[in-house]
Amino acid sequence: MKTWITPYMMHYKGRIGINILFGVLGVASGAMLLFVSGYLISKSALQPQNIMLVYVPIVAVRAFSISQAVFPYLQKLVGHNVVLRILSHYRNKLYDIIEPQALVLKSRFQTGDILGIVAEDIEKLQDFYIRTLFPAVTSVVVYGIIISVFGFFDLPFMVLMLALLGIIVFLVPLFSYFIMKRHHVAIKQKRATLYQHITDALFGQLDWMVSGRKQELFADVETDNDTLLARENNVHRWHHLRDALMRFVSGGIVVLTMIWVDGQVNEGAMSATVIAAFVLMMFSVTDALMPTSDAIEEVPAYVDSLKRMNNLHVPTMNEQDEAVVEHDLSPHPVIHLKNVSYHYDASEDQVIDDMTLTIQPGHKLALLGKSGSGKSTLLKLVSGVLTPNSGHIQLDSTDMNAAYLSKYVSVLNQQPHLFNTTIANNIRIGRADATEDEIISVLDQAQLMDLIQTLPHGIHTQMEEMGKRFSGGERHRIAFARLLIQNTPIILLDEPTTGLDPLTEQNLLETMLGAAKDKTVILVTHHLAGAELMDDIMFVENGRIKLYGSHEQLLETNDYYRTLYQMDSGIHG
Amino acid sequence: MKRTRNRGLPRYAGSGLLHGLLIPLTIIEVAAIIAQAFFLARAVTFLFKGTPIAEIWSDVGFFFLAFILRYMITHVQTMLAERFAAKTARMLRNELMRAYFGSHLFFIQQKGVGHLVTLTMDGVDQVKTYAEIISIRMIKTFIVPAVIGVYIFTLDVASAVILVVAVPILIMFMILLGKAAKAMADKQYETYKRLSNHFIDSLKGLETLVFLGRSKKHAEKINQVNTDYRTATMRTLKVAFLSSFALDFFGSLSIAFVAVGLGLRLIEGSVDLLPALTILILAPEYFAPIKQVGKDYHATLDGQVAMAEIDGLIADQGQNKNDLHQHTPLAELSEASSRLNATLAFDDVTVELNGNHLLNHMSFEMQKGWIGIIGPSGSGKSSLISVLAGRLQPTSGTIRIGDDERAALDFPEWFDQIAYIPQQPYIFPVSLADNIRFYAPDATDEQIEGIVGQIGLADFVKTLPNGIHEHIGEGGRMLSGGQEQRVAIARALLSDKPIILLDEPTAHLDVETEYEIKQVMRDVFAHKHVILATHRLHWMNEMDDIYMLDAGQIVDHGTHQALIEKQGAYYEFIHWKGGRKL
Repeated sequence: MKTWITPYMMHYKGRIGINILFGVLGVASGAMLLFVSGYLISKSALQPQNIMLVYVPIVAVRAFSISQAVFPYLQKLVGHNVVLRILSHYRNKLYDIIEPQALVLKSRFQTGDILGIVAEDIEKLQDFYIRTLFPAVTSVVVYGIIISVFGFFDLPFMVLMLALLGIIVFLVPLFSYFIMKRHHVAIKQKRATLYQHITDALFGQLDWMVSGRKQELFADVETDNDTLLARENNVHRWHHLRDALMRFVSGGIVVLTMIWVDGQVNEGAMSATVIAAFVLMMFSVTDALMPTSDAIEEVPAYVDSLKRMNNLHVPTMNEQDEAVVEHDLSPHPVIHLKNVSYHYDASEDQVIDDMTLTIQPGHKLALLGKSGSGKSTLLKLVSGVLTPNSGHIQLDSTDMNAAYLSKYVSVLNQQPHLFNTTIANNIRIGRADATEDEIISVLDQAQLMDLIQTLPHGIHTQMEEMGKRFSGGERHRIAFARLLIQNTPIILLDEPTTGLDPLTEQNLLETMLGAAKDKTVILVTHHLAGAELMDDIMFVENGRIKLYGSHEQLLETNDYYRTLYQMDSGIHG
Repeated sequence: MKRTRNRGLPRYAGSGLLHGLLIPLTIIEVAAIIAQAFFLARAVTFLFKGTPIAEIWSDVGFFFLAFILRYMITHVQTMLAERFAAKTARMLRNELMRAYFGSHLFFIQQKGVGHLVTLTMDGVDQVKTYAEIISIRMIKTFIVPAVIGVYIFTLDVASAVILVVAVPILIMFMILLGKAAKAMADKQYETYKRLSNHFIDSLKGLETLVFLGRSKKHAEKINQVNTDYRTATMRTLKVAFLSSFALDFFGSLSIAFVAVGLGLRLIEGSVDLLPALTILILAPEYFAPIKQVGKDYHATLDGQVAMAEIDGLIADQGQNKNDLHQHTPLAELSEASSRLNATLAFDDVTVELNGNHLLNHMSFEMQKGWIGIIGPSGSGKSSLISVLAGRLQPTSGTIRIGDDERAALDFPEWFDQIAYIPQQPYIFPVSLADNIRFYAPDATDEQIEGIVGQIGLADFVKTLPNGIHEHIGEGGRMLSGGQEQRVAIARALLSDKPIILLDEPTAHLDVETEYEIKQVMRDVFAHKHVILATHRLHWMNEMDDIYMLDAGQIVDHGTHQALIEKQGAYYEFIHWKGGRKL
């Protein structure tokens, strides 16, 4: 609330105020349309000699009928404008929060799609303003005005209306909030169960068939579904009860207003012409106030979203050194690792354990290891996005840091994201000022131009049009071209061929290593395919170097390596 | 942005009864609305003329009764519709689940699990909401204004004419403005979609941006796109909101015309206060159902789109099932032939999907033991395994198991025989133990501990706080690819299935893990009938018999040694692969 709602409400209080003003004017116009119509008819029924006596009401009726339509229209526009502005702030803020922890987010939340969920959350908060805040405040203001009007005439009646309209504006919404909070939790949980069962059913479809437990699954889904529907039915039942109560109260309000106005007329405080006016007006006002409950009962859903968004904040972050000094390095720097150790915040285990290594310029190093061996972490350390807990990683004699990314070091991460824009723009994400010729040149080096030339829009083809246009291998090549445009002396490749068939894999590796002939390359890989192309092979286990040497050397001296290589190339194993 | 809509009322079991009840209820409702207006107008008129309130209690009472009756009927209508909607939602979810399980393997892959889950959850919800509102809205829109219009006609012709004329004008403007808004939205749909997806696209690509050293600068870009997005959205909204504006505007303008007209005729004396007041109270009621339809526009649209897809899907899968099963012999698979020693044979089996021949007239009689299926990508390896797993039904040909002839292998007795291990086995979000005993739910913890030791997961289990009861999968401890594969092996092992189908089980693993997994499989599946499809050649050394596929056909067949000596397609294939020295 304090981080995500209040500051923006304050920042946009002017626009929000205008929105609510328009909302109130809209309700008031509707009420006044009926009030004046009632008055006009009653007045006319007295058959005044001079038609000019009803001239003002006639004009007013027409005016209110127009303003009743105009104000809601304006209110919606102003409202959406404010909300879109606030949404911009949310997006910027969310990005600023997430950007520094981009690499640890998935492990922190143990779910693949935390970003998708949070992005939806901030979209959902738009509804908080449009569907809850604006209507609720409008209702309260309208309530205040009506009460004041009655108070102007008669204090006791004002108190009566204060109570009766209060039921509609405060009491029932409050009840609604607490009851819906309970339902919301229950429904959310039941939906989650059903969701999980359906997901399990589809992903594990064959497992269900093979296990002979298909009927059990169907029964589970049916039970989940039934309990969910029963719960939703409870909500409906509450809505029926709630609406019936409010209707009863509003019927009573109309009758009581009629009696009160009649009393006022008999006392001579009012003219008989306003009886119809007040009665008709109260119809319109109670109708306008009834949706307040609907507005309030959405609140529990927003609270969930806010909680999730607040959880994104990390109280103690591994803050990167902001004032990074960039030294001038030689055009082809040497990479040094000196007693490097690293462990993640949460755990004591050393992911990288006292590692020392030197990689000469132009050297090609293949890095292998089981999952969890530390090879990906090592790559992140060398790229500078992680800083070692002890020891040093240096380019020549300068400590590595993330500022060298895109200048000296470029990285092809495991699942490079291709943005939903043109091929050329995707390459430009690598370097914003790249010319069209440069882009074509790197695409050519990635051996993609033959394909791209056949496309009607060439390098300006959208990545995603009519579904997926490019195959896995082609997408990898585009990502690789984006890295080449940075023209750095050091290239880090994190399993760039995963998921490709062997032929594609082999071709891609050849392309990559061919294009990086003069560069230092560290290739994290899970196969020994292409091992012959590399200068050195290094196996990592438990954060330490397990095996290091050239392909020929290892093949000759190391049984383990020989076994693996023979298996990988299909000879033995 | 072509989305199919099913514009009709929902036609499911119970919809006839619902409509049958809603129509008379709506007629009573209109009567109550008129009575409510009539008695209120009477009461007000009497009070206006100075009658003491004590003498008109009956009018006030009747007003209140009619008022209550009217809303009671509304509640009954809604309850009926809600019950129908809940029944429909229940039925649709069950039918969808059955349709998913009745369909071939590629159906789920093509549609995507995410989309199907969303359809089953949110899609059904949308149909439910649609079913709750649409029948009531349609019936009310026809009956309420018509009856009220006729009644007003009997009271004052001029007012009735204004109200009747207003409706077509109002609807015409609504449609025109709606079309204008849609044309505008369509025109900038592509831009609009890109802008609105830009943020989520940026979040998805954040890791990549960090590694490209661009993540800080990208914040400016997000800000710029936000501003563009707001401008574009507001431009569209200005037009989009006009259609509900037209509704409000013409509705209230005609009420104003009615009121002014009545006022003038009252002055002339050509109409009385009572009918005038009645008309004035009724006029908003006349427009209320039409306005409601406008408000529910989006819910209606979503509901229609979801309904079209769900109905189509259920109908298609029902159709598929009939086609595929009509030539399946119903004879029970005899106990003898279901045993392991029954031979498995394909007789001219073809699988065609969307015009592609995945398997092309394939015939073989398979021996027992370890069988390798090899071939380049797209040769039909996976399709063959899918047919054997009962997840893909041949378009023609027969499959024999012993003496038993079948059109497809999707029957329970066959499923009892097989375990299937794909490249990425699905890990259910439950405990490790429950994952392992998935095919054999009665297995004890001791049995599971035993299996865990056999497949080399014991050391890993020791590191888990809850041992074999540790929650794994989504929301729990994530497993590595190698560990997932071991869990799948454990499942197959524990259930003691005689036939193990493996589809590329190790290609995605790092070479060391692959080596370990291979040793485990070689060990624990030694006496099983293993059918393994892969492009990893090293597996071929383990095989008793090898089928080499290309373009959906068997191009070479025999033992590794025999095939090498033969120097046919297999020899060439592994020669290229094995001999790639670069």
